[in-house]
Amino acid sequence: MDDPKTRDLVKELVLRLVSPVDSPSSVAEEAPRALGFAHRLLSSRMAPSLAPDELAIVESIKRHLAASGRSSDALAFADLHTELSARSSGPGAIRNRWALLYLLKSLSDARRREPLLHSTGTAGLPALPLDPQPSHQRPLAAKKILPPSGGVLLVSKDPENIREISLQKYADLVMDETEVSESALVRDILFVCQGINGRYVRFDKASDCYDLPESLKLPRSMRTMVRKLCELGWLFQKVRCYITESTSCFPAEEVGTVGQAFCSALQDELSDYYKLLAVLESHSSNPIPTPGSVSGVPGNYLTLRRLAVWLAEPMVKMRLMAVLVDGCRALRGGAMAGAIHGRAQHGDPLVQEFMGRLLRRVCSPLFEMVRSWVLEGELEDTFAEFFIQSQTVKAESLWQEGYQIQSAMLPSFISPALAQRILRTGKSINFLRVCCEDNGWADAAAKAAADVGTTTRRGGIVYGETHALEGLVIEAAKRIDRHLLDVIHRQYRFKDHCLAIKRYLLLGQGDFVQYLMDVVGPELSEPANTISSFQLAGLLETAIRASNSQYDDRDILDRLKVKMMDHGDGDRGWDVFSLEYDARVPLDTVFTASVMKKYLKIFNFLWKLKRVEHALIGVWKMMKPNSIISCIFTKEGVAVKTQFVSVLRRCQVLWNEMNHFVTNFQYYIMFEVLEVSWSQFSEEMNAAKDLDDLLAAHEKYLNSIVEKSLLGERSQGLIRILFVLFDLILRLRSHAERCFEHIFELQVRGGSKSRTKMMGAGPWFVGGRKAMMQLAGEFLGRMGEDLDKIAKEYSASLDDFISQLPIQHHVDLKFLLFRLDFTEYYSRLVPSK
Amino acid sequence: MPREIITIQVGQCGNQIGMEFWKQLCLEHGIGKDGLLEDFATQARPPIPSFPASLRFSVILHNCRPDSDLVDQFVQKGGDRKDVFFYQADDQHYIPRALLMDLEPRVINGIQNSEYRNLYNHENIFVSDHGGGAGNNWASGYHQGEQVVDDIMDMVDREADGSDSLEGFVLCHSIAGGTGSGMGSYLLETLNDRYSKKLVQTYSVFPNQMETSDVVVQPYNSLLTLKRLTLNADCVVVLDNTALNRIAVERLHLTNPTFAQTNSLVSTVMSASTTTLRYPGYMNNDLVGLLASLIPTPRCHFLMTGYTPLTVERQVNMIRKTTVLDVMRRLLQTKNIMVSSYARTKEASQAKYISILNIIQGDVDPTQVHESLQRIRERKLVNFIEWGPASIQVSGLMLANHTSIRHLFSKCLGQYEKLRKKQAFLDNYRKFPMFADNDLSEFDESREIIESLVDEYKACESPDYIKWGMEERLIIHQQGFICSDIETMDKRVRKKHHLHLTEYCNHDIRYEPFLCRVLVFSVIFFRHHV
Repeated sequence: MDDPKTRDLVKELVLRLVSPVDSPSSVAEEAPRALGFAHRLLSSRMAPSLAPDELAIVESIKRHLAASGRSSDALAFADLHTELSARSSGPGAIRNRWALLYLLKSLSDARRREPLLHSTGTAGLPALPLDPQPSHQRPLAAKKILPPSGGVLLVSKDPENIREISLQKYADLVMDETEVSESALVRDILFVCQGINGRYVRFDKASDCYDLPESLKLPRSMRTMVRKLCELGWLFQKVRCYITESTSCFPAEEVGTVGQAFCSALQDELSDYYKLLAVLESHSSNPIPTPGSVSGVPGNYLTLRRLAVWLAEPMVKMRLMAVLVDGCRALRGGAMAGAIHGRAQHGDPLVQEFMGRLLRRVCSPLFEMVRSWVLEGELEDTFAEFFIQSQTVKAESLWQEGYQIQSAMLPSFISPALAQRILRTGKSINFLRVCCEDNGWADAAAKAAADVGTTTRRGGIVYGETHALEGLVIEAAKRIDRHLLDVIHRQYRFKDHCLAIKRYLLLGQGDFVQYLMDVVGPELSEPANTISSFQLAGLLETAIRASNSQYDDRDILDRLKVKMMDHGDGDRGWDVFSLEYDARVPLDTVFTASVMKKYLKIFNFLWKLKRVEHALIGVWKMMKPNSIISCIFTKEGVAVKTQFVSVLRRCQVLWNEMNHFVTNFQYYIMFEVLEVSWSQFSEEMNAAKDLDDLLAAHEKYLNSIVEKSLLGERSQGLIRILFVLFDLILRLRSHAERCFEHIFELQVRGGSKSRTKMMGAGPWFVGGRKAMMQLAGEFLGRMGEDLDKIAKEYSASLDDFISQLPIQHHVDLKFLLFRLDFTEYYSRLVPSK
Repeated sequence: MPREIITIQVGQCGNQIGMEFWKQLCLEHGIGKDGLLEDFATQARPPIPSFPASLRFSVILHNCRPDSDLVDQFVQKGGDRKDVFFYQADDQHYIPRALLMDLEPRVINGIQNSEYRNLYNHENIFVSDHGGGAGNNWASGYHQGEQVVDDIMDMVDREADGSDSLEGFVLCHSIAGGTGSGMGSYLLETLNDRYSKKLVQTYSVFPNQMETSDVVVQPYNSLLTLKRLTLNADCVVVLDNTALNRIAVERLHLTNPTFAQTNSLVSTVMSASTTTLRYPGYMNNDLVGLLASLIPTPRCHFLMTGYTPLTVERQVNMIRKTTVLDVMRRLLQTKNIMVSSYARTKEASQAKYISILNIIQGDVDPTQVHESLQRIRERKLVNFIEWGPASIQVSGLMLANHTSIRHLFSKCLGQYEKLRKKQAFLDNYRKFPMFADNDLSEFDESREIIESLVDEYKACESPDYIKWGMEERLIIHQQGFICSDIETMDKRVRKKHHLHLTEYCNHDIRYEPFLCRVLVFSVIFFRHHV
C-alpha cells in the first residue's frame, strides 16, 4: 500500500472500474472519491472472520466444483493449485496464496448470486456505496441509515456488530432508569465537597446530611455511592465551621494561641484539599465515555467510582480533622495539644504522619512557651494555656506558691516528672530574679542553650522530639539549679544562717546562752504581760556583747530578735520568751513563718531545759565542796548533826538524781537530736541538687528535731510529765535556797558565838543557844519532810516518764531511755517495787 | 562576762607545769610568745598546713572554719574564748590571768628569761624577798604564806577585780614540796574564806613513788596538804608523778624523762580539761557546770586526769585511726583505765564509778557516740555506784568517778603512820607556829579527815551510801569522793607532727605504797591534713 507501485496499480484499477460506463466528466468527479474509498478500505485493518487456512479453502473450492458436477474442473484446479504451490519459493512467486484464492472464490460466489450485476459488465465488483458522509461521529445514527444488509463486504463480516447492538440496548436501558446523568452527579458532589449545595444533592437539615431527593430516579448503587461521597462534604463543613468560629473570635480567651495554631494547621490541610478539588473539577468537564464507545476519549474523566477513589484519602483526613475538631472544641492550650496527642497514637502511617504534621503546628506555641520559660523565666501565656500558671504572691512564698502546674493543661506527651522539672527551672529563674536580685542566671541559661545547641532557637523544638525538649530542659535545669544553689550558698550564705540558727535558736552557742540566761532570767520570772520586750531586746544585746557572739557577723546578729510568744493569763516570762531569727528574702523561702514557729517552739523547750540545768547548778554551788555549810556543827549536838547530815545527804542524792536526768536529757538532745540531725542535714544540704531538695532536707531536719525532742504530736503525754519534772526541780531549787540560807545563817551565828556579838536578835537566837539548836532541829526536820515530799513526787513522775519511754513510737527515744538508765539503776528499782 | 578563771601557780612544780600550760594555751589560741595574736589566728581561714607543731590547734581551727562540715563536740562554731584565761591589756596583747608565786627565784627567773618573758604581767609575779624557799617544809611554806598574805591577796584581788564575772581559781602546785604544799595550803584556806562563792580547783602533783625521794618528809607534807585539799578545794585534779614517769618511760620510750617532758604531758591534760570552757558549745560551758555533774557529793572531789595518746614531740609517731567506739572501749578496758593494781583484787573489783565524763575531740560522727555507749553497757565494762543513777556523759571529755582513789589516800596515811611512829623529822615542823609547843594536833586532825575521806569513798561502793554516816558519831568529814577524770581526745594524728599514740596501761605497782589508780585516758585523733 505504501509503495508507489501499489498505489498506481490501485489507481488504475479504480479508474478502469469507474470510467468506461459514464461520461468522462463524471469520471473526473468520481475517480478521486472512489480512489479515496478504496484507499480507506485497504488501509483499514478489517479482515474476514475466517482463519487464513489455504488448505481449507482449497478443499472447499474442490468440493464446490465436485458438487456442481464439474469434477474435471476440480481435478484441473487441484493440479493448478499444486503447480502454484510448487512455485512458491521461486522468483515471482505469489505470496498471498490464501488471499488470492479467497478473493477468487468470493468473486465467483458473487457472480453466481447476482447475475444482474454481471450483466452490467462491471468486472464483477459490486457498486460502491458512495455515501459522501460516512459519519464516525454518530455511529449509532450511521448504523441506522446504512442498510444492514448493505452488501458492504467488511461490515457484513464483523461479528461485533451484534455486541455493539446489545451494548446500545443496555445504554438505552440505563438511560431510561436515570433521570440525571452521572457527570451531573459528579459535579454535584464536587460542589458538596466544598460545602455547597449541588443541583440535586442538597443538605438536608432534618437528617443533618447531604442527600439526593427521594424523587430522583437513580439506581440504588449510584445513590449509595453519592451518599458515601457526600459524607466528605458534611465533615468538611464541620471543620470549616470550627475554623471560622475560632478565627472570628480569636484573640479571645477561649481560643488561645494553641487553638489558633490548630486552626491554621487545619486551614492548611483544607487548602491542600481545595487544590485537589480544583483538579477534580477540571476532570469532571471531560465527558464520561459510554460503555460502547471506542478509542479517542480523554482518559481523565470522572465517574462516581473514580471520584470515590480520588476522595478516599481526603476522606480519612477529613474524618480525623472532624474528630479532632469535635474533641477539642471545649479545650484550650496544653489540654488541646494533649487531646490531639492522644489521638495521634495510630498504627496507620498515613494517620500518623498527618497527625504528626498537625501536632507540630499545634504544639509549637506550647514549646515556645516552654523554651522561654525554661531559658528566660518568662511566662508568655496571655491566654492561660500553659501548664504552668503564676499567681501573684509575696516574695517569700514565691517559691512555694508562686507557680503551679495546671495538670489539666499538661499535655500527655510531657511526663509529670519533666513538667515538674520545667516548672522548677523557670521558677528558679524567677526566684533568682525576684528574690535574689541576681542576674547570673542569664549566663547559666545561655550556657545551657549553647550546650544543647540548635534546639534552642525560637521554634526549634518541635513535637515528636521529646528527647530534644527533655535534653534542653534537663540541661537548663541543671545549670539554673546549680546557679541558684550557688547564689543561695555563696551570696546568701545559707549554711551560715542555718548555723546561726543552730547556734542561737538551738542554743549551740553555749556562752551566749549562759549570759542570756544570767541577764534575762530575773526578768522572766515576772508575769508575761508585764515584761517589756524592748527591755529584753536590750538584754539580748548585752548578752551578745558579753559572749563570743560579738565576733559574729553583724548581719547575722542584726537578725536576732526577741520574740514573745502569745501568752495567756498566768504565764510567766519563761513560758513565752523566745528568740527569733529574721531570715529575710530570699531565705525566708526556707525559713517560712511556719518553720520559724517550729524553731520558736524548739527554742522555748531547750530554753526551759537550760533553765532547769541552771537552777540545778545553782543548788550545787550552794553546797559545793568547800562551802561553809559542809563544815557546820562540828561542835554542836549530835542529834542536830545527824539530822543535818541526813538532810544534806538526802538533798545531795536527790540533786544527783535530778542532775543525772537533766544532764543526760541534755546530752541526748545534743548528740542524738541536734548533732545527728545536723550532720544528716549538712550531708543532704551538700548533696542537694536544687532548691526543692534543700527545702526538703531542711524540713526533714526540723521535723526530726521536733519529733525527737518530744515536741511532736505523739509525745504530748511525755512532754507533760517532763514539765512536771522540771517544775519539781525548780521547787527543789527554791526549797534548797531557803534551806541553805537558814543553815548558813545558823552556822554564821554559831561560828560567831566566840566573837561574842550577835547582830540583831534573829529568831534563831531568841532563846539562847539551846533554843537555837532546838529551832534548828525543827527546821531541819521540816526541811527533811519537804525534801522527802519532793523526792517522792519526783520519783513517781520519773517512773512514769521512764515507763512511758519504751512505748513511744520512735526509735530515738530508746536512746534517751538508754542514757537515763545507763547503769540499769531504774530497771533494777522497778522489779523490786 | 567570760566567766574568767584565774590561775595561781605556786612553787617550783606549780610554776613549771603552769608555764607548760600557758604555752599550750597560747598555741591553741594562736597567741604568740609575746602575747600578740599570731597572723594565722586572725585570718578567717588559716592555711592549715603552715602550722607549727600544734596539732590540737590545727584541729580546732579546722573545725572553726565556716564551711567545715565537721561536727565537733566541743569545738562548736562559736570560736574560741580567749578571755576565759587571758585578758587584753591594750589592743593587742593577750595576758594570762595568771599569778606566779614562789619563795625562791630560780624557776620564776627561768621563766622571766625565757622567750615567754613578755607574756606574763610582771605585776603578777611574786617572789619572796629573801629567796630562801621553804626547804621542802610544809610548815615553813605555810608560815611564809601567812606572812606575805597581804601581798599575795592584793594580787589576787586585783586580778579578781579585773574580771567581770569571776568563775573561780585554779591552783597549780605539788603536795610534796614546801612552797607548793605549804604556801598553797595557806592560799587555799584564804581563798576559801575570801572568795567562798567562787570555785577553787587545783591541779595537784602527787609525788613520785618510784624513786627514792629527795624529800624525806613527803608523807607529812602530803598529809597536811591533803587536809586542805579535802576541806578547802572544790575540785582536785590529781596529777600523779609516778604515773607520769611511768608513762614517759613505758609508753613514750624515754629512758630518762625530763621534767619538761612530763610537764608537757601535764599541760596537755590541763588544757584538754578546759577545752569546753574555751570553746563554747551546747553544754559544759563553764567550770561549775562541768564539775557539778562530776561531783554529786561534795566531799568526793578528787579527779584524776589522763590523756591519750600522750605524746612528746620528736617521737616517732604511730598513726592510728579510730572511732569513738574504739576510744571509749579502750578507755574502759581495765588495763587502760590505769586503776593501779596496788589495791587488792577484791577491793579493786568493788571499786565503782560515780560518774564519767568524756571529752572527745576531733572529727566525730555523733551517731557513733550512742553506739559506743551501748557497747560499753552491753559488755558491763563499767561498774557504777548503786545508790543512784549514774552515767557516762559524753560531751567530749570523759571523766570517770571511781572509788578506788581511796587507796591512794590510804597509802598516804600508811606512809605517814610509819614516819610518825618513828617521830622522825618532826623537829623541822616544830619550828613553826602551827606546831609550836609540840602541838601536833594538826597532824592528827589531818589524819582523821583523810581517814574519813577514805571511809566515805568506801561507803560509796556500797548501795547503802545514803544512810552511811547516820549511825556514826563523828560524821562531818566522812563524805568521800571518787573522781576520775578521764579525758578522751579523739583526733586524727598528723604524721609530720611526730606524734605518738600512747595510752596509759596497767602497771603493776603493788610495791608502791601510794598511788591509787591512775585514770585518765585521752585519746587523740588528729585529723590528717593532706
